[in-house]
Order: sequence, then C-alpha cells, then structure tokens
Amino acid sequence: MEDYQTGEETAFVVDEVSTIVKEAVEGAIGENSYQQSRVKQWTNNVVEQCLSQLNKLGKPFKYIVTCIIMQKNGAGLQTACSCFWDNTTDGSCTVRWENKSMYCIVSVFGLAI
Amino acid sequence: MADRTDLKAELERKKQRLAQIREEKKRKEEERKKKESEVQQRAEKATEESDLDRKRKETEDFLQSVGISPEPPLVPTPMSPSSQSVSTPSEVGSQESVDGGTVTRMRRLGASKIVQIDFMPKELVTYSKETQTPIAPNLSEGFFSFPTEEEEDEELPVVKTKPQSDEQEEEDPQETNKDLPRELTEEEKQQIVHSEDFLMFFDRSIRVMERALAEDSDIFFDYSGRDMEEREGETQAGLNMSFNRQFYDEQWSKHRVVTCLDWSPQFSELLVASYNANEDAPHEPDGVVLVWNMKFKKTTPEYIFHCQSSVMSVGFAQFHPNLVVGGTYSGQIVLWDNRSHRRTPVQRTPLSAAAHTHPVYCVNVVGTQNANNLITVSTDGKMCSWSLDMLSQPQESMELIYNKSKVVAVTGMAFPAGDVNNFVVGSEEGTVYTASRHGSKAGIGEMFEGHQGPVTGISCHNAMGPIDFSHLFTTSSFDWTVKLWSTKHNKPLYSFEDNADYVYDVMWSPVHPALFATVDGMGHLDLWNLNNDTEVPTASVTVEGSCALNRVRWASGGREVAAGDSEGHVWIYDVGEQLAVPHSEDWSRLARVLMEIRANTDGEQEGAIEVTG
Repeated sequence: MEDYQTGEETAFVVDEVSTIVKEAVEGAIGENSYQQSRVKQWTNNVVEQCLSQLNKLGKPFKYIVTCIIMQKNGAGLQTACSCFWDNTTDGSCTVRWENKSMYCIVSVFGLAI
Repeated sequence: MADRTDLKAELERKKQRLAQIREEKKRKEEERKKKESEVQQRAEKATEESDLDRKRKETEDFLQSVGISPEPPLVPTPMSPSSQSVSTPSEVGSQESVDGGTVTRMRRLGASKIVQIDFMPKELVTYSKETQTPIAPNLSEGFFSFPTEEEEDEELPVVKTKPQSDEQEEEDPQETNKDLPRELTEEEKQQIVHSEDFLMFFDRSIRVMERALAEDSDIFFDYSGRDMEEREGETQAGLNMSFNRQFYDEQWSKHRVVTCLDWSPQFSELLVASYNANEDAPHEPDGVVLVWNMKFKKTTPEYIFHCQSSVMSVGFAQFHPNLVVGGTYSGQIVLWDNRSHRRTPVQRTPLSAAAHTHPVYCVNVVGTQNANNLITVSTDGKMCSWSLDMLSQPQESMELIYNKSKVVAVTGMAFPAGDVNNFVVGSEEGTVYTASRHGSKAGIGEMFEGHQGPVTGISCHNAMGPIDFSHLFTTSSFDWTVKLWSTKHNKPLYSFEDNADYVYDVMWSPVHPALFATVDGMGHLDLWNLNNDTEVPTASVTVEGSCALNRVRWASGGREVAAGDSEGHVWIYDVGEQLAVPHSEDWSRLARVLMEIRANTDGEQEGAIEVTG
C-alpha cells in the first residue's frame, strides 16, 4: 500500500478535514436564519476559517475550499464534481449542513504537493 | 633474465600508457568533435535562425506594406538569445530529465470518484376541483363521480383525474353520434305508430290540421283547457286586445274631439260618433256626427250629419233604427234621420227655458218599444223626458237638486239594466247621486262621495246572468281613479288606481259580468277583469299617437271596443275570446270577488252606512 508508505502526515485525511469544516460552518452560521444581507459574510467566514484551520495542519497540500449557501425555498439543487489526480495522495471532502431556513455545502479539495 | 622481466614490465607500462594516451586522445577527439558538432550545430542553428530571421523580417516588411501588423513570432525567440550565450547542454539534459519525471508522475494520476450533492425540491401540493353542468344525460353521470375521489385524497395529483374525464367526454358524444343516424326498422316504426303517446299526439294534431285547412281562426285552441295555464302572460296579452281599424275622416274628423260614441242596437256594425267644433275651420258646422260602418273596408263614413252647435252626446234611438239623437252644447236636442237626404237635423228642441239651456252631456232612450222616452240631462241639473215624435216640448222635466239646495251639475248618467225609473248620475263636484224619475222620491236620492275630481263617466252593470249585479256601477273621474260602487253603499266598494292621468270614461261589458273598459288621458285603453285581478288591468293597449281618449264604448256583442280620442280618431279594438266571452262560473266568481272586496273594505271603513232601497 503506497498510501502508508508515503506516511500518515502526507495523506489527505477526510475525517479530520470534515471536522474542521463542520466547526467552521457552525461557528459562522450557527442557528441563524437566511438573510440576504448577511449571507455573503457567512460564506467568506466559512471559507477563511476552513483554510486557516487546514493550514494549521501543516501538511504539504494545496487546498481548494468552496462554500454554497442555499435558501430553503422549495427549489431543488443538483451538483456533481470529479477530479483527476493522484488517488493515493489527493482527496476531497464534502460536508452538507442545514438548518430550518438554509442549506450549506462546503467542499474541500486537497492536492498533495 | 631480470632484464626480460624488467623489459616486459616496462613494455606493459608503456602499453598501458599508450592505451591511456589513446583513450585520452579519443576523448579529446570526441570532445573536440562534439564541440565542433555543437559549434556547427549552433552555427547552423545560428545560420538557420539568421535565415529565418531574415525571412521573418522580409515577411514582416511585406505584411506591413500591406497593412497587417506583425504577429508575435510563434517560433520561440528566447531560443535565439540563449543560443548566443554559452549554454550548457545540461539544460537540454535537465529538460529531458524533467520531462521524464513528469511522465512518470502522470502515470500515477487517476480520476476520483464523482462527488454529488443534491437537494430535492419541495413538492407543491395543489388541489383543484371543477364542476360542470350536465351537457347530456350520459356526461352528467360521469362528472358526478369525480368530486368524491378528489375529496378523499388531497395529495392525488389533479392531472390524473382530468385525462379520465376527457376520455369519458370523447366516449359519450361518439355514442350519441352513433345513435342518431340509425334508421328504425319497419317493426320499430309500427310499434311507435301504435304506441299510446303517438296516438294521442296524432289525434290532437289531426284536429289542428283539419281546422287549419278549413278556416282561419285560432286553430290551436285546446278545448280540454290544458293549454290555458301555460299560455298566461305576454302571449295572452297579445291575444286579448288587437287593433282592428280606426275611423278618421280628413274633412270632418280633423281637429275635432270625439265627444260621444254609440253602437247601433239594430245593426251591430254601425257606430255613431259625435264631434265637437273644429277651431281651425270656423266656417264648417260646429257639430258633426258621423255614422261609421265596421263591415266594409271603406274609410268614409256612412252618414254625415251636421249641426250648428257642438254635439256633446249622441246615441242611436233605441227603438227607432233610423233616428240619431244628439245633445248639443247649446242645450238643444237634435234629431237626425238617415232616411232623409239632409245632413242637418230633422227635428230640434226649442232653445227655451222649458228645455235645456246648458250643455247636454247625456241622452238616453229608455223604456220599451211602445212606451219609450228620451231622457236628457244638462249640466244645470235639469232632466227632461221627451217623446221622440214630438221634440217641441218635453213631456216632463225635473230639477236634480240634492237636499233641496244643491244643484247637481250632471256630467254623466246611467240607467241600471232593466230599470226605467232609477238611475245614477255623476257630477262635476265628484259626487255621485242616485235619482229616480217618478215616485215618491222623485229626484236626487242618495249621495255617494268618494271621488276627488269631476266624474267623467258612469256605467251601470248590465251583463245579464244567473246572479243579478245590477246594483253595481262604476265611475271614472279626473282624480285618476275608477271606483266601483253599489247602490246599496254610499261609499265606494273598491277604487282602481292603476292610471296615471285623468280617466275619461268607463263602461261595463254588455256580456261579461266582471269586465269593464276604461280610457285615460294618456291614450291607454284598459280592460279590467275583476275575476282576474283587481289591482291592474288584465289587458291594456295604448293607441297610436297617445292622444287622450275621451270615450269608450263596447259593441253590443261585447267583442269590440271603440275608443274616441281628442284628435278625431275612433279606434276599434277586437277583444280576444278568452277575455270577452264569459264563462258560466264568471258570475259566481264575481260574487266571491265582491265578497272579498267587501270584507277588506269593511275592515277599513267602519263608518260605511248601509243604504237600503
């Protein structure tokens, strides 16, 4: 298994990253209801928080973080993504979070340097 | 021998040295060659590039001359500066090594799993319900079943039920379309022909068709009475009164008011009309009397009579078919005879105090064939009785005075059927009086108060039937009302208040007990049937031109009504059979109606005094 050979420190750990993301989302949005005026701020906060936390991990990775906040209005949403990378070292993590008034989707892609 | 080994060692060392030198030489030569080749390559490249540059420059110049800006050179020009500097082949080598490294890395890459996120849309649950009035019996059944389904499941999408109903709609018209053009078989036809419904229909239709072919009266009359209930309202009103013809003479009727009408008792088609003065033709005689003939289509009168004074009242002499009696404005009574060729009266009463000096509004022949009198009353209350043979002086005269003080200005007089002694008069003050000619109570009897305006017309009930209604009489007045009285009550039994203008005349039908006609100032000719409705006339018609109608007279048969207006026209209207012809129960119905009326009015008027006699 080449994964273990490369070392635990230089692999993309999904659980770790998802924990980070969840904390970031909770911290930014919490139990607020959807407000058009504040949504922009929330997405910024989520993304920045995620990135800073990921950087603190200190791993040799390039990170890409996306955040989508959608109001619960009865509309449907469908997204898909696929990557072409080194499956052994690179990975992605998508976190779905929701409360009564909105959905929040955060995707983190980590590419080993 | 040591020399041999020494020589051999020395030889070997020398060989080795030679080999090294050769190798070094080779290397040097190789390096030199490489250098030279590189230099050559570079030189070639330089020359090549210089050739390319020259060519590029030439093309650029050519393009610039044409007007196109020089494109950035695609050939990597950085190569040219680098070629000038002494570059190490290591770059090339490193590039190759780098390319080799990326190739190796690219082999390790692969596609990742597709990460998908989706959120389902919220389904909007809609519910709609429609109702449809039944188009045909088949379709209505289908539609009634659907609402129950929809009520049970609210979540059931409405789209599902609609296609079903559409299918049903398509099915049913197809079925009905299929049924219609199918022709009946002979058996079926025979069956239908012999069925009871068809026979009944056929029976009725035969009669109608036979009548239609035979004559031109109302062939649709159903004697069984079934149609009577349906045909109430507008259609009946149309049948009730229809315009027959009008009598008008350009020379003699123009600008004259029709003051009186009378039908001939002997010839039912003859009608006499009297006219007052024509102000626009002062040289014409003031009084004109025309005898019109209903039977023929000619538009000129049968007889034309003149008189010096306006004729206010006229009548055929009851028992003298050739005589026409007229009462004039001057008080003179004049007599015309149609046997003579004269247009002027053959006899005249004198203009003296013994006779009348005021306008005579009422002339009436009462009595029997052998013993008859002409009764005339003028507006000064004088009543004279004449013999038609001798008009030089009245047989008897009487002043109609009420309570020995008040003179009655008589505007109308009427004798109840069969009575020659007692009569009723209407006055200018609006009061009605009974009077009698002879007897202990000769003169004015009772006073009947009720009208608020001059009494214009008075008519006694004269339809003969099982029940005697001869005590009834009606009066019309300027107070817009027509009142029904009984000689037994001094207050009116009933007041008819449908008119909106002066009511100028009223007359009972000679055959129908509950029917009477009124005319008013707006040109309305109304027929009231008390058995039908006491509030509104049963039939009403407005004459053409809407002139005030002054007089109304029923023909003796009770089927025609003549009305004279203020412009000199005499309008003849046919009254429909249903209205004019009485039924045997009409008398009893009228009695009941009278009882109801009396019951209502007794409740209101407690001060009514019962009049006996």
